[in-house]
Amino acid sequence: MNSGQVTPEFVRAFWRHARRRPAAPALLHDGTTVSYGELARLAQACLTGPPGAGLAAETGPKSPGTIARILAFLTQGRPVLLPPAGTSGTALAELCQRGASPPDGTCFVLTTSGSTGTPKLVPLPGSRVARFVSWAARQFAIGPRSVVLNYAPLNFDLCLLDVWATLARGGSVVLVDPGRAVWPGYLGDLLASTCPTIVQGVPLLYQVLAERALSFGSADHVILTGDHAPAALRQRLPGLFPAARCYNIYGCTETNDSFLHEFDPAQAGRLPALPIGQPLPGVRVRIGDDGELVVATPFQAPGYLGDDPAMRFDGDWFRTGDLVSRERSGLVYLTGRNDFQVKVRGTRVNLEQVEQVLAGADAVLEAAAVAHDGRIHLAVRGRPGTALTPLAVRSLCTERLSLAMIPSSIAVVSAPLPRTVTGKVDRKRILRDIAGTPAGTGHP
Amino acid sequence: MQTTQIITAFITDQYLPGTSPADLDADYDLLATGVVDSLGLVRLIDWLQGEFGLDIDDRDLTPEAFRSVSAIRNFVEGR
Repeated sequence: MNSGQVTPEFVRAFWRHARRRPAAPALLHDGTTVSYGELARLAQACLTGPPGAGLAAETGPKSPGTIARILAFLTQGRPVLLPPAGTSGTALAELCQRGASPPDGTCFVLTTSGSTGTPKLVPLPGSRVARFVSWAARQFAIGPRSVVLNYAPLNFDLCLLDVWATLARGGSVVLVDPGRAVWPGYLGDLLASTCPTIVQGVPLLYQVLAERALSFGSADHVILTGDHAPAALRQRLPGLFPAARCYNIYGCTETNDSFLHEFDPAQAGRLPALPIGQPLPGVRVRIGDDGELVVATPFQAPGYLGDDPAMRFDGDWFRTGDLVSRERSGLVYLTGRNDFQVKVRGTRVNLEQVEQVLAGADAVLEAAAVAHDGRIHLAVRGRPGTALTPLAVRSLCTERLSLAMIPSSIAVVSAPLPRTVTGKVDRKRILRDIAGTPAGTGHP
Repeated sequence: MQTTQIITAFITDQYLPGTSPADLDADYDLLATGVVDSLGLVRLIDWLQGEFGLDIDDRDLTPEAFRSVSAIRNFVEGR
C-alpha cells in the first residue's frame, strides 16, 4: 500500500490482520467462509483506479465482493457513498453530484432522511470512525475470536460496528442477506450454524428470531438499537440468548452511537419502556426547553454535505429531533419526536419528504403521508382530468424514493385532503378516515 | 380460476387495496415497488402453502422467486 497516509486507520488495521493471520475467517457469507487473506486478495484486485480519485458510490449487494471493493476505495483514500437500497438513475446521480466534494479525510458518506424531498448526505471523517471503532471494540471486547452478526444493510451506520469495527479487530462478520432478513428459517439456521458472539440489530431481528423457540447460547453481547423494543419482545430475550449481556443503544447517522443502557434481560420484560441510559464516554448532552435531546459526540459528522441548510448542527451540537425525559436516576428515556420523522424497520423516514416528492409530480394535486405501527400510508389527490391510480402513484414513488420510504398503502381520493385550521394537512384525520382503515391494508 | 388469477387476486386484495386485479400486470415488480415488503413476503409464503398445499422451507428460497405474479406462478407450478 503506497497510499498509507490517506488510508483510514481502521482499514490499515484490516490489512495488518490480513498479513499476520491470512487464514483467519473474515466473512461468513451464504455458507462459505472468506478468510482475511482471500478478502485482501479480492480488495487488492479492485485497487485499479488512481488513488484519491474522488467519491465512489457503492450500490452493490451485501457480499464479500462489495466489501472488498469498499476496502479498496478506502485504501486509496476515496470517500465511499453508500446510498439506501433502491436508489438508482437520476436519484443516484443527484446524490453523487451533491456528495462530490466531501471534506478531506471523509471515509464514508451515508444518507439520512431529509424534509426537502431528497436525502441528506452525512460525511463521516475517518478519524472519527476510528474513535468509534476503539469505543466499540473496548465496550464489546471485539477481537479475533469475535463472531459478529451483521443484520443491517451495508448503507446503515450500524455497520460501523458490526462490519468495520470487526474487520479492524480481526474478528469474523456474519453477513445476513437483507432480502431474507425476516425469514425465520433462514435466520435461525444462520445463527445456529455461525454461532455469533455479538448480535446487533433493530427490534425486527429479535422478533423474527422469536418466531421459533430457538436458543443461541453463543452470544455474549446482544444489542438492541434503532427503535423501541416492545415489552413482549424483551420477555423473549432470556430464552433466545441465555448467556448474553443485553444493551439498548441509541444513536443516529449524524452522531453515531451516543447512549447506552445495559439491562438485565430477566427484568426487562416487566418495564414499560427501556431507557436509552447514559451518554457514552466523551458524549456531551443537553436537553432543550421542549425536551429535545441535543448531543455532541466524538464520532459525529461535521455537518451535512451540499447546500442543505445545516439547521440541526450548531457548532459541535446536534439537535436530534428526539424528545426525551431524564429521570432522577440520570437515565434518559425517549418520549417522541418534534418533527415528522418515523422509523420504518429501523430506517428514519421523514413523512414530509415523501409528501414533497409526490407533490412534485404533474398528476398530483396534494399528498399526505401518515405513519401507523411502523408503516407509511399515503393519501393522494390527483389533478382533475388525470386518471391517477394507486399503482401509478406507486410507480412515481419507486422512481423518486428509496425502498423504505415507499408507502405500504396508497389511497387515491377525489375530495380535498382534510386540513387543520392553520391550513396544514390534518394527519390524524387522514389516518382515521382515509389511510388508516385496517380493512384492506393487508397488514394485521 | 387459473393460478395466475388466484395469485393476482390475493396480491391486489392483500397488498394493493383499491387496485383492480385487471390492472396488475403479471410482470409488475412487486419487490422494487414496495408492494410486498420483507414481512409481506413471509405472509405471502404462508398463504401459498395453504392455498396450493405446498410445503415450503424458507431456507431453500430467495426473494427472486416472488418478484412478480408470473414469477410466483412459475414457483407454484414448479413444485
